[in-house]
Amino acid sequence: MDLLAYALQVLTVIVAPLVVGLAMGMDRKITARMQNRRGPPVLQPFYDVGKLLSKRPMLLSELQATFAGAALLFHAAALALFVSGSDLLVTFFVSGTGSVCLVMGAFSARSPYSFIGGQRELLAILAYEPVLFLVVLSIGMRSSFLVGDIQGGLLHDLPLVLLALVPVLVVLLEKSPFDVPTAHQEIISGPYVEYSGPYLAILEVARWFQLAFVFGMVTLFFWSGDAVISIAGKLALAFAALFATIVIDNASARLTRENMVSFMLIAGIGLVAINLLVLFILKGSI
Amino acid sequence: MMTLESKMRIRSPWIMHFDTGSCNGCDMEVWALLTPRYDIERFGAMNRANPKQADILLITGPVTKRCEDRLRNLYEQTPEPKLVIACGDCASTGAPFHNCYNVNGGVDKVIPVDVYVPGCACRPEVLIDALVLGLSKWREKAAGADKEAEG
Repeated sequence: MDLLAYALQVLTVIVAPLVVGLAMGMDRKITARMQNRRGPPVLQPFYDVGKLLSKRPMLLSELQATFAGAALLFHAAALALFVSGSDLLVTFFVSGTGSVCLVMGAFSARSPYSFIGGQRELLAILAYEPVLFLVVLSIGMRSSFLVGDIQGGLLHDLPLVLLALVPVLVVLLEKSPFDVPTAHQEIISGPYVEYSGPYLAILEVARWFQLAFVFGMVTLFFWSGDAVISIAGKLALAFAALFATIVIDNASARLTRENMVSFMLIAGIGLVAINLLVLFILKGSI
Repeated sequence: MMTLESKMRIRSPWIMHFDTGSCNGCDMEVWALLTPRYDIERFGAMNRANPKQADILLITGPVTKRCEDRLRNLYEQTPEPKLVIACGDCASTGAPFHNCYNVNGGVDKVIPVDVYVPGCACRPEVLIDALVLGLSKWREKAAGADKEAEG
């Protein structure tokens, strides 16, 4: 591989989570405007992470720090694999390991609140990972499992699969109606409850890496031969997905955890199945 | 020159509210801060309801003897740097409960307080003022530390 392409990939792995951080700031601003508030500055997530890093570190057990670091490493590795154009399935599983590390971190603190958060995070993983897995499979079967080889036609052939990613994003962005793990009115911050200061900042950055990977999957659906159009289209598609989750968040109240699992599995798997079935009938192959 | 650290700290004050036996008058005004009308999220403030992730403690009520240990616990669980704002007359001085056998008569009898907010109940506008005053204390502290470093 030539040096320039390599440098570009390293740059993307560094910049992508920062873009997600900026998107989180835009999310808070747009949400505030929808509720007729002024809202925080767009750079607020960066202020928050900077502030958290400067707080006095506090831990309940050493394992908490270990799992927070592991979550960051796995999510960063997943994004690096994705950007370098390797196998989408491997990327998915590495990212999934990162999510499990968050749960292990929650379980490693001896606190009932942290345990409830961990259990609920496990339920959320049970709800969104199968859908995400099927999305990965359908992208792979339609085009290629290697991210580097995926080209156009996904949006045209798999529109319902893209639609199935929206509820996945709702869960991952901790938004209503499926903000079950971190339910603000009820158990406050779920798996994050016993984390504070720098360690919470590490988990927040890990989340940005994870979201960068999932938004990356959304961007796969747009492709054009022209690099500029391709990048602009990819960003527009990712923003449209984010905006959809913000609208859903502001227009709905939280549902129960059973509702989340059953809706995600029925609607998510259903959408992917219908899409693949129609594609099979129309084209004779997937 | 302020350090980047203290700049970020001033822009991201996460709050935690604790009721130490208030009549709920001040509590409703504290919650009103989060509504679209007062919207303290524009200062970057968020209600975390978790001492471990809070920077600013908004304490209401005259601190009953039963609440004393809990208040001290919450204060100790909040990592430094932190601010304590005593919201309302009860939290500031114990006001109507003066000399009562079952109250401590003010938050500052138990934990150090940085800003006192008068009023029964305290008004949300004054609470916002108190928040901004508390943040400016941090700014002064940061500037003082810089001067010491230079001198």
